Order: sequence, then C-alpha cells, then structure tokens
Amino acid sequence: MSNEILENLKKAILEYESEKAANLAREALEKKIDPAKALNVMTEAVRQVGDGFGRGELWLPDLVGAADAMQSAMPIIQKEIERKGMKVETLGVVVVGTVFGDIHSIGKTMVCTLLAAEGFTVYDLGVNVTAEKFIEAVKKYKADILAMSALMTMTAPEQRKVIAILKKENLRDKVKVMVGGGSLTEEFAKNIGADGYDPTAPGGAKLARRLLNK
Amino acid sequence: MAMKGFTRKFKPLEIITEEQVEAIHRGILDVLQTTGVRFESKRALKLFEKNDCQVDYDNMRVKFPPGLVEECLRRCPSSFRVKAREPKNDLIIGGNTVYFVASPGMQTVDLDTWEPRPATKKEYYDTVKIMDALPNLHLFCCYTPYFGFEGIPEVMKIPEGLAAKIRNSNKFTWSCFSNDCEIFNIKMVKAVGTETIILAMMASPPLTYYNSAIECAFRTLEADLPIGVDTGTVFGATGPATIAGSLVTYTAELVAGIVLIQLIKPGTRTFIAGFPHPQNMRSGSPAFGDIGISLFDVAFNQICRKYEIPCRNTASAYSSSKKMDFQCGYERGIPAILSAVSGAQFIHVHGGMYGELAHHPIQDILDDDVAGMIGRFIEGVEVSDETLAIDLIEKVGPIPGFYLNKEHTRKWWRKEQFVPEVADRLTYPEWINSGKKTAFDYAKKRMEEILATHKVDPPLTNSQEEDIERILKEAREYYRKKGLITDEEWETYKKVLR
Amino acid sequence: MLKGFTRKFKPLEILTEEHVEAIHRGILDVLQETGVRFESKRALKLFEKNDCQVDWSNNQVRFPPALVEECLRKAPSSFRIKARDPKNDLIIGGNTVYFEPGVGMQTIDIDTWELRTATRKENYDGVTILDALDTVHFLSCYCPYFGFDNVPSVMAMLESVAAKIRNSTKAQWSGYQGREVFVIEMAKAAGIELLGNIICSPPLTYYGDGVENIFRFIEAGFPIDVCGGGTIAGATGPATVAGSLIADGALNVAGIVLVQLIKPGTRVIVQGGAGPQNMRQGSPAFGAIGGSLHNVAYNQIFRHYKIPIMDAGCYAGSSKRIDYQNGYEKAIPAVLAALSGANLIGFHGGMYGELSWHPFQAIIDDDVAGMIGRFIEGIKVNDETLAIDLIEKVGPIPGFYLNKEHTRKWWKKEQFVPKVADRLTYPEWMKTGKKSCLDYAKERMDEIAATHKVAIPLTSSQEKDIERILKEARKYYKEKGLI
Repeated sequence: MSNEILENLKKAILEYESEKAANLAREALEKKIDPAKALNVMTEAVRQVGDGFGRGELWLPDLVGAADAMQSAMPIIQKEIERKGMKVETLGVVVVGTVFGDIHSIGKTMVCTLLAAEGFTVYDLGVNVTAEKFIEAVKKYKADILAMSALMTMTAPEQRKVIAILKKENLRDKVKVMVGGGSLTEEFAKNIGADGYDPTAPGGAKLARRLLNK
Repeated sequence: MAMKGFTRKFKPLEIITEEQVEAIHRGILDVLQTTGVRFESKRALKLFEKNDCQVDYDNMRVKFPPGLVEECLRRCPSSFRVKAREPKNDLIIGGNTVYFVASPGMQTVDLDTWEPRPATKKEYYDTVKIMDALPNLHLFCCYTPYFGFEGIPEVMKIPEGLAAKIRNSNKFTWSCFSNDCEIFNIKMVKAVGTETIILAMMASPPLTYYNSAIECAFRTLEADLPIGVDTGTVFGATGPATIAGSLVTYTAELVAGIVLIQLIKPGTRTFIAGFPHPQNMRSGSPAFGDIGISLFDVAFNQICRKYEIPCRNTASAYSSSKKMDFQCGYERGIPAILSAVSGAQFIHVHGGMYGELAHHPIQDILDDDVAGMIGRFIEGVEVSDETLAIDLIEKVGPIPGFYLNKEHTRKWWRKEQFVPEVADRLTYPEWINSGKKTAFDYAKKRMEEILATHKVDPPLTNSQEEDIERILKEAREYYRKKGLITDEEWETYKKVLR
Repeated sequence: MLKGFTRKFKPLEILTEEHVEAIHRGILDVLQETGVRFESKRALKLFEKNDCQVDWSNNQVRFPPALVEECLRKAPSSFRIKARDPKNDLIIGGNTVYFEPGVGMQTIDIDTWELRTATRKENYDGVTILDALDTVHFLSCYCPYFGFDNVPSVMAMLESVAAKIRNSTKAQWSGYQGREVFVIEMAKAAGIELLGNIICSPPLTYYGDGVENIFRFIEAGFPIDVCGGGTIAGATGPATVAGSLIADGALNVAGIVLVQLIKPGTRVIVQGGAGPQNMRQGSPAFGAIGGSLHNVAYNQIFRHYKIPIMDAGCYAGSSKRIDYQNGYEKAIPAVLAALSGANLIGFHGGMYGELSWHPFQAIIDDDVAGMIGRFIEGIKVNDETLAIDLIEKVGPIPGFYLNKEHTRKWWKKEQFVPKVADRLTYPEWMKTGKKSCLDYAKERMDEIAATHKVAIPLTSSQEKDIERILKEARKYYKEKGLI
C-alpha cells in the first residue's frame, strides 16, 4: 500500500502532474509513510527527468514540468520532516534567484531543477530579486551556495552589491557565490568577485558540487 | 500509405495577375501555331499530321491548332501515384503536396580545397545511403547524387546510377536517357517491381526536340510508365531576355512535348520538369543562384496550376558559390521558400552546390534542415480554440506570468516548432565550450552516424539483386558491341566493378 | 524621398479571413478580460479618463473593444519620416518595403568568430558603410552596435544617435531609457525626426520608463514604433503560433491605444515579433521558421488594421559565423517578410541573436536585400516583354537570342546583378584565388572606407550643438552618479 502511494507520487512527477503530486504527498503523510522516503522518490523522479534531458530525449518543458510537480509536493513533505525534527540528507543548501533588474527566469529555473536533481536543497527566490532579499535568504536558510542568474551584463553592479553586503555582514566566508547566464563570462565572474561561473544549467549543477567538494 | 511530403495549407503566392497568365497562355498558343516546333522524328511528325497539325517535312516543323493543344493539356491527370520499391515511399503527385528532390551534381567537392573531383564508387553508394536516411528528402533525381562515378564509361553512367539507387535506397527515383539506356532502366525498375519517371521528352531550346528524346518517350509510354517533359531555356541566349518572353518559349516547348505524349497515349501520367536560367552576361554561363530564376519559376507555377499539371522548380538546386558559405545559403534558401509557397510539387534542395557541377553529402544533410524548415512553414498556422489559447492567456496574465511550465506548452510546442538536426543553436558560451562547432561540423558527425548505422529496409532480395546485375551486364555488352565502350575504358571499368 | 522597393503583387497570406477574424476577436477578448499591466500612473489616469477599467492595485487596464477599434482607425496607414537629407525621407506604408540594418551588442573577431566590444572608430566606420549601402534605407536604433569601447552604458544610446547624425544623412529611430530628453534635443538640432520607441515586456506588461518615454516623443511631434518586445512562444507567450499572435498582438494594440489617446493621429509603426523558445538551451531560437510563421500571420493581421509594420528581427540567426546556416536562417525570414507586407525589414549586418554585428555581413546582406527587392518588383508582362514577334523571328535551333537588340535593351532591367557574390565559373574562380563573397565584401568595405563621403556633412553650428548636448548629458549622468 505504502509502496503504491510512493510509486504513484513518483509517477505524478514523471508525468508532470502538480496537483496529483501534492495530493499524493498529503495521502502519504496521512498513511504515516516516512517523509524521508517520500522525499527520496521525488528526488529520484526529478533526477530521472534530468537524465532524460541530459541524454537529449526530454526537453525544457518536461524539465520544468517535473520541477513544478515536485515543488507542489515539496512543502508538504518538508513541513513534516521539520515537525519530526528529522535531518534531511542533502548535498547542500542553495539559494537561487535572477538578480534585480532582470526578469529572465528560464535559465534560473533550469538550474534549480538540475540542482534539485543532483541532490541539493534548493530555495528559488524567483526573478528581479533585490540584494537585500538574497542576503535575507542566505541567513534564513543557512545557505552553502548563493547562485545568481542574469542574462544581461548590465546587472553587474547589482551582483557586486550582493557580494559587498555579504562581506559587510561577515557572511562571505560561509557561502560560495556562483553566477550564470547567457552573456556572462569567466572574466565577468572574476570581476564581480564570484567563486565560480558556468554558462549552462547542467554545468551549473556540476559547478555547485565542485564548489562544495562533493 | 504513400509518402506524405509536406502540404501547403494556404493559397499559393501569385506574382502575376490572371490576365497576365492569360496573356502568356495566348502567347504560347500563338507561338505553337505560327512559329511551331521542330521535331526531328518521322514517327512523331506522322502522328502530328494525323491529328490535324500542320507539318512541314522539309524542316521538320510542326504547327499546332490551339484546340488540339488545349485538349491534350486536359488529358493530363492533375494528380497521380507513382510506385516506389516500398509502398510507404510511393508518391501521390499533384495539388498542394510538396516533395523535396535531391539536386544532381556532376562531381563531388574536396572539402579542403573546395575543388570539384569525380566521386568514387564508394562515395556514390554512400551518398545514396545517406540520402535514403534523410527524412525530408522524398525522392531522387536522375543524376543524383553524381552524374556517375570514377572509372565508368559515359554510356553506363545512368544505368549504374539507377542500380546504385535501387540497391542503397527504396525511395522513388526519376531517370533520364542517353544512347538508348532507357531500355535497361525500364528493365531494372520492372525487375524490382517499382516505377520510375523518365524525363524523356527533353526539348532543346529554342523550340526543338531531337530524335533521341522522342524515341525515349515512345519507349517509356510502351512500358506504361509516367513521363516527364523537360527543357532548359537560358534567358537572353536560347530564349528572350525578358522573363515573360522566356516563359512563352519555355512553356511552348514543354506544351508541344505534352501534346506528343497525350497523342501517343492519352491520359499518360505527365509532369513538367524544366531548368530555366538567366545568362551570366559576363561569362556566358547560366547565372546560378540568380533571383530571376525564382521570378520565372513562381510565374511558371501559376501557369502550370492553370493547366492542372504537376511541375518542379530547380532554382534552389544550385548556387554560384563554390563553398558551403553564406552565399550558398541565401542563393538556395530564398528560391526554395519561394517555390514552396507558390505551388511547385517538386523542389530541388538537397546537396546541390555550384551549378550542376558539384554535390556533397554534407550539403545534403545541411539541406535536410532547410527542407524541414520550409516544410514546416507551408503547413501554416493551426487556428482553433485550443491553439488560440485565450483561456490560458487569461490565466497566465501579465508579468510574472509564464508559459514554460504549462501543460499547453508541453502538448503543443513540438507540433508548432521545427527542431533542426544539425543547425548550431547554442548560446555563445556554450558554443565556445563546444569547440565552436558549426552546422557543418554537426553535419559531418551526422554523416558518420548514418553511414555507421543506417540500413536500407528492406534490402533487395537475392533474386532482385541477380536481375539488376544481369541487366547491367546486358547493358555493358550492348554498348561494347556498339563500340561506345572502348577497350581502354573497359579495362578501367572492370577494375571499378571488382 | 527614398523609393525603396515596391511589392507589385498581392501579399502572401497564410491565414484565411476567418482566421484573421478569430485572432482579432481574441485580441479584443484578451484586452477586455485579461487586460494589460501599465506601470505608469500617467498612463493609467489617461486610460481611466477614456472609459477603460483600471485596477489600481495591480496597474492592470481593461479595454472596451470599441475604444480599441477606434484607436486603431486613428493611426495613419502611411506617413513620412524626415531625414537629414530630404532625398532620404521615407514614406512608410502600403506596398513599399524598406530595409534597415540589424543590431549587435558587439562586433566579432573575424579570425576567431568570438565577440569583442567595438571601438569608437569601428562604430563610426560601421555607420559610414551603412550610409553607403543602397539597400539600407533607414538606420535602426542601436545600430550598428549597442555601444562602443569606454562608453558608459547610460551614454551608449546618445553616442550612437550622434554617430548616425554625423556619419549619415539617412533617417533613424531611437530607443529610450531616460535618455530621450537629450536624444530629442539632438534630433531637433540636426533638423530631423526620430522614430521614437515604446517597448513592452511580454506577457502583457509595459514598464514605466518606456511609457514615460513615449509621452516625451509624442510631445516632440515624432512618430512612434510600438515594439512588442519579442514574445517567446512557450515562455512569455503560448507555445502555439495562433496563441502567441494573440498575446503579442494584444500587447502591441494596447500600446497603439495609448499612443492614440495621448495624441490622436500620431504616426505609428508596429513591430511585432515572436519566435519559439529553444527548448534545449532556454534561449530564443533565433532564425527558427516559427518566427516567420508568426511574422507572416502578424503582417496579415496588421494589414487588416491598416497600420504600417516593421519586421525588425530578420537579421539574426543562431549561427555564430558568416556561414551556410546563417545564410538560410536570415534570407528565408527576410523574403517571407517582404512577401507578406512588412514595410520595414531589419536585416543588414546582424549575426547571432542581437549579440553580434559585422560590416562584412552588412555588405553581403546588401546583395541579399537587392535580390529580395528585385523579386518583389515582379514581372512585367506586355507585348514587348512577351516578345512573340521576336520568338517567331528566331524560331527553333539554330535560332539564338544573345545577339538581338531586345536582349541588349532588356537584360539589365530583368536581372539583378549582385555586387559581392561569387559569380565566376570554376576555372575563373581557381584563377582568382578561390575568392568567396566574404573576400569580395572585404574589398568593398575598403573601397567604401576610402571613397565614401556623407552627402551633406553637419554644419559647424549643428556639430557644436551635438557636442554641447552630449556634454550636457555626460554632466547630468555624472551628477546622478550613473557614470
């Protein structure tokens, strides 16, 4: 019975069914299924979709569809894990967002999905995120990595500002900063004082592992 | 089911008015009646005379009464099926269906020097195999991929080429004639249970048909095969320098050929080929890649639609550039889309490079993306409640509304988009990481993949293969006896066959 | 007035009349039910005064259909834009097709094909080349480059407009971002009009600075380009072409309504443009045929509205080089735009996306634009071109046309002879060192650089004015802390 629910939860994500995934997550908890197990099948489902994308069989709408389905079930499971005071196995906590002045969300969404598929805990702050919001999230979630996305190089001052505040608040040593986006370069990353850069979403997920030596 | 090809889902582009089409048609009737056409064949002249044409035996000139011309045009079916070796590759020709045909080239090119050189037998067979694998290439033209391969005598080029296409592909193919080779071509296609369209009625502009073309037409019709009429006017040389004037002579030549075909055997499946060009007024060669060809073709398609006879366009077959470069891209891309939106049933796209002189399999692969892209365009825009998506637009609203994660996107994007196989679609940083690969590099890789994995399905049966080999042998003996293969040629040829 | 090219036949139409009607109704429906977000109090007040339903909590405006249709009717179907040299004035509308260059953030290194920032000299030389090319009829906003070396980003547009005023007498358009005050002053100093620009952000949103900007342009009496901002089908618009036509169309129509409410009868050109998303990289799929399906249908809809159309996006493919892919990805959309009723086509010099531009590309594209222009001028059919008497005289083989008076008279009118295309035979080509169009383009660029002079140089007082305005702007931005 419990296996069936978990199987269905996984299937819901593989079939991009957000509402179904959320309902099954609730049902799982009602049936006293271990939330860590539920989390595992969800991560496994997103990883499968990520692998399919990597092989060229699946496409962006599939990737984003799976991420959406996972995110609709995630808060339900996470709340239960926190309530039980369980520890979640994770490669690390990543706070992600598109910087202020930029409303491009596609690259950022891809990175979130792939980071989750790698096994990171991901907090997606959305687009047009101010420096203050980034800092607040880094503190709140005790982030290991701060990932900023931007399509346009014009946003450099804003990204510098984030790094400057991190330094001011003595957070710079506690969190790795990575940047990515269509027209950014290695040089740009160095210039603003980031720890790492990758132009692509799949590359970004791998970069996160390298930054944390995982 | 026959091969689908692409279907144009909107009204064709028209660049001349109905009155202008009428003026050109009247011009054609006028030229056919007052100037007439030269047919160098007693057999044809007699048939014309019997059917109330005015025949001058001294200069072999035939003058046609308009009533007969129009009656013969009506006898041509407006749509018809031709059989391929595999029923799924049968073609139903006519109407709004567009098929892409490979472009012929005399030789291949060396990719380091871009110079032309003869293809080897292996290159010929490999290129056919690649073309068999490309989904947007629907059929072969006679001289595709190459006019022949290294070491074979001139007279064996067409039969050997046809044999290669029968062996390494089960797509439909046209064929040509030269020194009676149609005898062997007909035998070969019958042996494997398929058909070919022979571009038999080939006029020699201005306004002339030689005997070999006419004899070939008689043979084709006796074999109950479909037929193509063909001509190749150069505006300013073998036709008037004006496009309207050349449309008159060119079409008059083709129509005269159609009259003969429909007199020999009424109702014969007929399609109109043709190969028009402006003249390069510097070198005297045809101006390949010139926009005048498209102006001509698009108007010509309008005339053929009036006659309700399927036709082909060649403007996109060739460029004047010697490389696979930007010029080659626009000189062939523009005519290809113009032919597709204006109603040609056959369009030459794949593989052609400079003039009729060069062809390359990598170009075939690049062009498969072009053909797919154009095919997608002519299939048009689907308009329904679901595609209009008004409810979805309402739900998503202004920023930060987003469509990528919607069910509607997952369902529809792949139907709406054409995704190319070898075009470079990377962002700059990705492209640099990839080693700056271009469409050309991806095409090379795809070529290697196809050669390593593609199988012709189904292959020829043993007995079919024996038949092909036997017919080729017959042809070789026939030409040896006629003295058209010299001893020296024969020695080289034997080495190639080994 | 510049003649441009005239399409002499009916435009290509890929939608039925019923489809056009369904899309039009969809646009009206979305404008009334969903509405459009305008982040501008001034605009919202104007809309409210004109019986639109304004939701002040989220800045969303809902439009009554009758108002929308009335505003569409108020826009002129043809209009003039004044250039510095009257012979370069444009009359936009009807069956006339003008070409304008593409734009690029940067130039490319022709040896490595990598991006790098253009120098000031390259930007000015780029404008000189565009001034010299016959098929460049209008200078785009931000062309050739978005900026050049050592120019702070707030000054990029102003410096760009100044370069075009100095090195060309062709008409031009201008973007915004708070810089329009200085831009308008500069245009007035040079005695020209600028096509102003309001850019929206799909889905269904106009940000404040864009809106503020057009108030200023309209007060200056300039015409306006209502720019759709590039809906990406499957990301910022529905994945279907039909759906994106509605989303993109509604956004543009809302902009036209605003313009006509500010000042009825204002000259407007509409710039649609949607393309599919690249579902692997997440970037727009530049050069994809879906962009043309959208454009051609879009042109049909706005021809129905009788509003002039700009298909600005025909300059960008996905290839990073001047190669075969770039050739077909640029040429096919451009010819489709010309066939289907675009009045202005963005084309010359653009390469990948909006990211790169190169003068060689612009020179090669001059041939392509000429070729497309020749096509849309169509075929002359009359007694002389039909040449029945000549055909009778020449007869069958050995009849020949090359030596006839008729050929000498007509061939040049009928043929388009390109300037930098390789038209040699194989033996000639080998003898000349296997030159390609790229080599010929280099030669032509050197020739233009050596010989071309702008027809009417600025007077010294005009030049002083331009320099003064630039100085003022620099000072203003320094004081604002933006430099």
